[in-house]
Amino acid sequence: MANAEAHSHEHHIVPTSTYIKTLLALFVLMVITVLVAGVNLPRIGFLSGTVVNQVIALAIALIKAFLVVTIFMGVKFGTKLIKLWASVGFIWVLLIFGILGDYTMRKYEPAPSWDSKADSALPRVTPEDPKMPDHNSTNVIIRQ
Amino acid sequence: MSANTDSLHHSHDPGLKHQYEDMAQQSETYLVGMWTFLVSEVMFFGALFFIYTLYRWNYQQDFYIAHEHLDVRMGAFNTTVLLFSSFTMVMAVQAAQLKKRMNVMGYLAVTVLCALTFLVVKFFEYSSKFADHLYPGVNFNTDAVKAFGEHALENGHVAVNMNHAQLFYGLYFGMTGLHAVHIIVGIGILISLIRLWFNKADSVIHDYVPTELVGLYWHFVDLVWIFLFPLFYLMPKPH
Repeated sequence: MANAEAHSHEHHIVPTSTYIKTLLALFVLMVITVLVAGVNLPRIGFLSGTVVNQVIALAIALIKAFLVVTIFMGVKFGTKLIKLWASVGFIWVLLIFGILGDYTMRKYEPAPSWDSKADSALPRVTPEDPKMPDHNSTNVIIRQ
Repeated sequence: MSANTDSLHHSHDPGLKHQYEDMAQQSETYLVGMWTFLVSEVMFFGALFFIYTLYRWNYQQDFYIAHEHLDVRMGAFNTTVLLFSSFTMVMAVQAAQLKKRMNVMGYLAVTVLCALTFLVVKFFEYSSKFADHLYPGVNFNTDAVKAFGEHALENGHVAVNMNHAQLFYGLYFGMTGLHAVHIIVGIGILISLIRLWFNKADSVIHDYVPTELVGLYWHFVDLVWIFLFPLFYLMPKPH
């Protein structure tokens, strides 16, 4: 009985129409992303128009990637283990982009509250410290 | 008793390797192995995308001006070709499930042709950049980038930092180049797969999963391009 189920599962064949619809959706999304890139979108709240453009372009890319992974790569029809493995790559990318937090937060360093107990902290490299080298010349990214 | 008859039945499946209980277990093992490799590829490209994001974040305007020399039409054409090749690849896998050998070879051949088309377009793109000296180094064509900086933005006369512009081209050649290397490797794998199907090799005709594994690799290459295309060719104008 279990054998028969396994057998039918093994021969689960996705109909051609599903693949054609996916391909057409990918084409339509590609045309949309090219057309939207040519328009300067207006500012939305604190997001500048440039950022709005970029967010839309990346959102479309993510939808395209989702379609390819779920339908073409068959993750939608795969076992739970396959679904887990496919998510690992996505989680990795999220983790690595967490490093951006470090680059964007450095300019707030040193935070005033850190100095309330001066003795508790180790000497830090700060632009305010005259004994330390000038970081603007050595590392443009961190302290531009 | 039941397990015993199961294994007896499955021992007749010519695609089943002796170390696996049944086809379901074998397929899952194959697929998890391939996904593990793909996750390592995601780590590889993920780090590159992070580097890109970091510099783009800081040098938005310089990157925008440098990117205006890329041809969106060529990029869009290549995107279309790769998306279509993913479709033909998936059709080859479907044909493998249905054991239609000629269809498998046909769809794989179309996939290879798409890959070659992609490389030809890439070749023309790279040649025009090399001809214009738009690659990082001492010969970098600062005049071309400067000229563009003067009319690219509304506020006119934008001073372009040439180091940042070269950084853009470094990332462009680095990331699209590594992607192109993956396409070239993919062509080699696809041709080997066609050969296996042509020779009616036991490894592919009794079990469609090896064909599917090649498909997973090919879709991954497509996936990387889905992100490279908007990031390099469709940069929004700073406004």
